[in-house]
Amino acid sequence: MRRDGSRSRLVVGILAAVSLVLVVLDSREGANPVTSAARNAGEVAFRPVSAGVSVAGAPFSSAYATLTTAHGARERIDALEQRNDELRNRLHARQRDADRAGRLRDLLQLAGMGGYEIVPAQAVTRVTARGFSDTVTLDVGRDDGVRPDMTVVNGDGLVGRVVQAGPSTATVMLVTDPASAVGARLEDSQEIGVAEGASAGIGDGKPLRFELMSADARMKAGQRLVTLGSHQGAPFVPGVPIGTVTAVDDAPGRLTRTGKAEPAVDFGSLDVVGVIVAGPQGDPRDSLLPDPPRDAPGSEDTEDAPDEQPPETPGNGGNGEQDPDGGGSGDASAEAADGADQEGGR
Amino acid sequence: MKATLSALLVLAAVLVQTAVLNRLPLPWGIAPDLVLLTVVAIALWSTPAAAAVTGFAAGLAVDVLPPADHEIGRTALLLCLAGYLLASIRDADMRWGLGPYLAAAATALGVPAAFLLIGLVLGDTRAALPAALWPVLGGAALTLLVSPAVLGPLVPLVRRFSGDTRTDMPAPWITAKGWGR
Repeated sequence: MRRDGSRSRLVVGILAAVSLVLVVLDSREGANPVTSAARNAGEVAFRPVSAGVSVAGAPFSSAYATLTTAHGARERIDALEQRNDELRNRLHARQRDADRAGRLRDLLQLAGMGGYEIVPAQAVTRVTARGFSDTVTLDVGRDDGVRPDMTVVNGDGLVGRVVQAGPSTATVMLVTDPASAVGARLEDSQEIGVAEGASAGIGDGKPLRFELMSADARMKAGQRLVTLGSHQGAPFVPGVPIGTVTAVDDAPGRLTRTGKAEPAVDFGSLDVVGVIVAGPQGDPRDSLLPDPPRDAPGSEDTEDAPDEQPPETPGNGGNGEQDPDGGGSGDASAEAADGADQEGGR
Repeated sequence: MKATLSALLVLAAVLVQTAVLNRLPLPWGIAPDLVLLTVVAIALWSTPAAAAVTGFAAGLAVDVLPPADHEIGRTALLLCLAGYLLASIRDADMRWGLGPYLAAAATALGVPAAFLLIGLVLGDTRAALPAALWPVLGGAALTLLVSPAVLGPLVPLVRRFSGDTRTDMPAPWITAKGWGR
């Protein structure tokens, strides 16, 4: 035990002496070869371990950082979420504004074509508690000049007719409603018929049912339907696009021919519509009809009112609304060119 | 056997201390001293010479590994002396029950204090006295806080490997030179 103690003291003395020498060597100015070599060796050994710990501990260290900053992070997240919602709302509002402006422009253009007086309105409700009638509520009513049996259109074509007008709201039965029947005419062959709604819910994509009056009449897919028009423009003014024939039911033995027609209006996204509250002085005929697509042959025949050719721009559309038979005087040459083109095509 | 275990424990403690604990963004910039706790656990069941060697090796490893914020040999000297002193305690109660925690508390306070003292002697500008006392106390408190997690498993392990005797020499190079018993 005595020897053990002295040996231990010897060991610890040597080690302490070595340590002190190292401390003194390392605390001197300048790089010492012994200590700097030791440090280099330590660094070499440390680097892979540290890198491994970095890789393995990255999730933990980030979790720890999250924990330590959690106090302020809660408020910061709240603030950022709030800001995010605000910006998103603003963006949506802007998109809605642009969308609405586009629809109003279309409407204005359509109104300007026929010289109709149109009250713009917004479809505020789409669904009812029952859900099987295709009606929408507009945010205009009797105070705005809306009466029952007025035609409702939007930039694409016929929406429906007003069935009820309250002081500030109006109910519109859409053309897709099963109770709706619109006198229609094939745009090119002039054959008349009835377009009836067949849908069970708004925007369910069910096509219209179109039945020709004459047993001899023919129709084919791709032909466009326009409103026939009624006395005094009620309930439907003439010449508003209803839809396009998509299929013909060629059942033998039937007295009349029926077909399916795709509505011109997308009722699933109905937004801005217009109620035609007053017609022009003269008969507008088919002036609400937009230019036919190039693949519809023979449609030039319907252009029977060349002096009411629609102005091309929304601004001129506004002029046309005030001055139904004038059109834009600046568009005279364009109209002449257009007329010449039609003459050549005929 | 015991020597291998001691070497492995010291190596693991040094690596965990330098690579993991010192990396943690702990509050107040202080960290618990795992190496110190490991040296305490080993020294309590070793001969003084073996404990001194163990402390010296552990301290030197801490000194050499980054960060190089102090002179090489400073921790080695202190842990070497601490290991020697702990192993020299004759009182058997120090090795059982709460004894290791008392030893750890004394070491955790004494080693940083001596570290600070060496810094003062060497003119370390960071060892300005009133301010430098807080890391000493805080570090000791943190070390004591984690000491159950380290001493709890380590002390019985080392005790089992030392066969409940103090005759085992931890370092074979010492046994080879006949410093064993």
